[in-house]
Amino acid sequence: MGNNGITAFLQQQNFLLTRLDALINWSRQYSLWPMFFGLSCCFIEEAAAFTSRYDIARFGAEVMRGSPRQADLLIISGTVFKKIAPVVLRLYEQMADPKWVISMGSCANSGGMYDVYSVVQGVDQMLPVDIYIPGCPPRPEAVLHALTLLQEKIRTGERPSRSVLNLGGGIQGTQEPVRVDGISKSRDPRGTGYTGLPIRGTAATPPVFWQNRTELMWTPQAHRVELGSADKSLETQLLERFRKVVQSTGDTSDMLTLQVKPDQVPEVLGFLKNDASPRFLRLEDLTAVDESARKDPFSYPDFTLVYHLLSFEGPRRIRIKTSLHGPHPAAPTLTRLWPNADWYEREVFDMFGIDFKGHPNLRRLIMPHDWMGHPLLKSYPGRATEMRPYTLADARRQQPLDAGVFFQKPDGSEEMLLNLGPHHISTHGLMRFVLALDGEKITDLDMDIGYHHRGVEKIGERQSWHQFIPYTDRVDYMNGTANNLPYLMAVETLAGIGVPDRAQCIRVMLSEFFRLNNHLIWFATLAHDLGAMTPNFYTFREREHIMDIVELITGGRLHPSWFRIGGVAADLPDGWKEAVDDFVKTFLKRLKEYESLTTRNPIFKARTRGIGRLSLQDAIDWGVTGPMLRASGMDWDVRKKFPYSGYQNYDFDIPTATEGDCFARYLIRVEEMRQSLRIIRQAADRMPDGAYVSQDCRYGVPSKSASLKDIETLIHHFVHTTRGPEIPRGEAYAAIESPRGDQGYYVISDGTSSAYRMRIRTPAFANVQVIPRMARGASISDFVAIIGSVDYLLPDIDR
Amino acid sequence: MLPAGSAASLSPWEPGLLAMLTYGVMVFALMAALLFLCSWLGEKNPNREKCLAYESGVIPTGPAILRSPAAFYLVAVFFLIFDVEAAFVFSWAVSFYSLGSAGWAQMTFFIVLLLLGLFYVWKKGGLEWGTTALPPSCNSKTSC
Repeated sequence: MGNNGITAFLQQQNFLLTRLDALINWSRQYSLWPMFFGLSCCFIEEAAAFTSRYDIARFGAEVMRGSPRQADLLIISGTVFKKIAPVVLRLYEQMADPKWVISMGSCANSGGMYDVYSVVQGVDQMLPVDIYIPGCPPRPEAVLHALTLLQEKIRTGERPSRSVLNLGGGIQGTQEPVRVDGISKSRDPRGTGYTGLPIRGTAATPPVFWQNRTELMWTPQAHRVELGSADKSLETQLLERFRKVVQSTGDTSDMLTLQVKPDQVPEVLGFLKNDASPRFLRLEDLTAVDESARKDPFSYPDFTLVYHLLSFEGPRRIRIKTSLHGPHPAAPTLTRLWPNADWYEREVFDMFGIDFKGHPNLRRLIMPHDWMGHPLLKSYPGRATEMRPYTLADARRQQPLDAGVFFQKPDGSEEMLLNLGPHHISTHGLMRFVLALDGEKITDLDMDIGYHHRGVEKIGERQSWHQFIPYTDRVDYMNGTANNLPYLMAVETLAGIGVPDRAQCIRVMLSEFFRLNNHLIWFATLAHDLGAMTPNFYTFREREHIMDIVELITGGRLHPSWFRIGGVAADLPDGWKEAVDDFVKTFLKRLKEYESLTTRNPIFKARTRGIGRLSLQDAIDWGVTGPMLRASGMDWDVRKKFPYSGYQNYDFDIPTATEGDCFARYLIRVEEMRQSLRIIRQAADRMPDGAYVSQDCRYGVPSKSASLKDIETLIHHFVHTTRGPEIPRGEAYAAIESPRGDQGYYVISDGTSSAYRMRIRTPAFANVQVIPRMARGASISDFVAIIGSVDYLLPDIDR
Repeated sequence: MLPAGSAASLSPWEPGLLAMLTYGVMVFALMAALLFLCSWLGEKNPNREKCLAYESGVIPTGPAILRSPAAFYLVAVFFLIFDVEAAFVFSWAVSFYSLGSAGWAQMTFFIVLLLLGLFYVWKKGGLEWGTTALPPSCNSKTSC
């Protein structure tokens, strides 16, 4: 055989290998196995791509795999947090080879709108990425598009047969390099080449106020309310009983506010809980404020602790404040009075470095255990881009705490320690339960949260009052634009902004649509957790119907960010009424069908009845709210008890139950869907005419057309869309009934264009803290039903 | 021993070593081919993370092989007993006519014995799940 013979042989061989390449690529591109791994909001849209309307199975990526061993496609759907990054890397490395990565959404691509200390500014800093999907969140169609792009890439870009046949060489799987900041990518929020400019917003961000022009702007005083007689008598009672301990704080914008000396806080709060009339049974919120960056520092202490209490009689709220001094001050713990103070105090310790004397277990709650510093201190850098980039080496080093650390077990204990989450189908997000198991019985349980901490409270201190609205959408990604409401209500209370009737009605209608949206997906996932796949595909159909209406009205789906200070962003479009009527007509019938799949299903009942009981006493002590509280027997709904946005004008019922088990919670939510539909129907039928946003342009953004007619409006438009309006100095708390419970915003303004402190009281934080009470002694299978019935969302816990 | 008259209905059994050997070789060859193809074509990338057990994305704690509670053992034993004994009943059902009434009587006795055992296990709480499922009069201090 001469040279010609060898060449011919090689040519023939190459021909065969090329054919084999095509065959392998063809089979791989149509049998991709995505892993079931949702990081954040984007995952909801990713999941929607798997349901009937979008049906990703058409493209050959059938079922999401629960384990990395069975998956070869990782869709990074959502925000990559520094605390979860080591887990993402491990899952990627545990996946079958060859494998591919799609980065879905702005957060995964670049950190997106979350340029904040806890978020990795782009997953490509630690993983190779094949395809990027832009959007926040991208639509399900975009997921389909990304999949076809990846298929195209496999088909045209890969030559796998040499590696498959172990011949040396060949290209398969992800070949992209991991990006390095400053070399192959830039994290600079200004873009490359603009280093001479200050980063947008820094001029107005505490602690330094370079050239903050809001100082030059005149604004009226904060809106003040006259306290009722009951509040006044309570104030007198406290002032007399605790002389020199309790002080009046004077004017308030929302509720009775008192100043208490730090050492006597447990005494005063104990009196309010046990002996006062009315008794304040719920610790609604506990948080701190770092006062070091006040414009007038001499009038403030170093830190203020703020307690919000709630009395069911009345009902009414009270705010107790206490001043602390020194860089790392200490305060007495409240855990003996309210068990739910446990997490609240740990959070304050984590975020501010404030010590709580007598706390049984004071360690970090949200930030990783080896984190340096306390992020909500004014001196702490808020932006990730001010810190060094997060790299592959960091992801290898900073591992989550070992499960053994969570329990004090005697040596030689034969109990099994099992991590359920952060990556698990049944945990519905980045939540880690650490279980101590005797067989499959749960003997002890601890929770590790903070894997979804987006630092939104810190962001609230640097975005202008308008700019912060989109961040509120993402605090509870199932509640969409209804999340804007408690924030705006707090701002409107503080500044005394009136909202026109039409805007109130639109706000109510959309809020109820999002409640339906949440409950439908909760319904599907609970059924899915208990082994019923079918409801998933049906309820997502209704959910898409709701999304269509939301899109028609607001232009967005998951995060419309559509409410504005003093109203909403635009008037209702033509054809909204027909769309809503269509939905109202069909929904009840559909709901009945879904219920017939589950409510009387003997397996569903056996899995939920009598499981995860929560007594009313526990529910109150632990600050549980929403459907969970109602399922335990308390008739409590903020829409009825503190009516807002005109809810008092609607005719609807509050379902309650007494069993407090998973089945009761299920029944309550199903009935709530019917009641929401009633509200939607009433809102649509009696939608008032008039303005959709307050015509007072001191705080709201005037319409563009009006701004072109006179100079005053033009100036307001310019100021409010650039540096933003100045909200008067003061504080206000406002809460709504979110699908999960009481969601409240506590807003403090120091008279600048952004909040001085933005505190978010989320329902899931309290609801989840009580899970160990319900789960000890249960089996693992019951535990899945319990966490499914709690219906929490991770950004709603970790913020 | 075959019952009389059934010889015609069954094919005659002719022992053939060659057929047996061929069959055996084919089985082994197929298995060997599958195993070889898997190990040759399969992707191997044994890094540290990949060799680690998957436990929701974090490093597992402690060994996975622990003493398992008696409840699992009981279920396994009961399953084994009642499942294996069902095999006797199936074989009896196949040869029901040839064994006649004597066989029926023997099998009835066997089944009754089994049932008595089942009721005993039931009464003792052996069918209840969990380690604490003892009759209410019992506690850990008294033996029962």
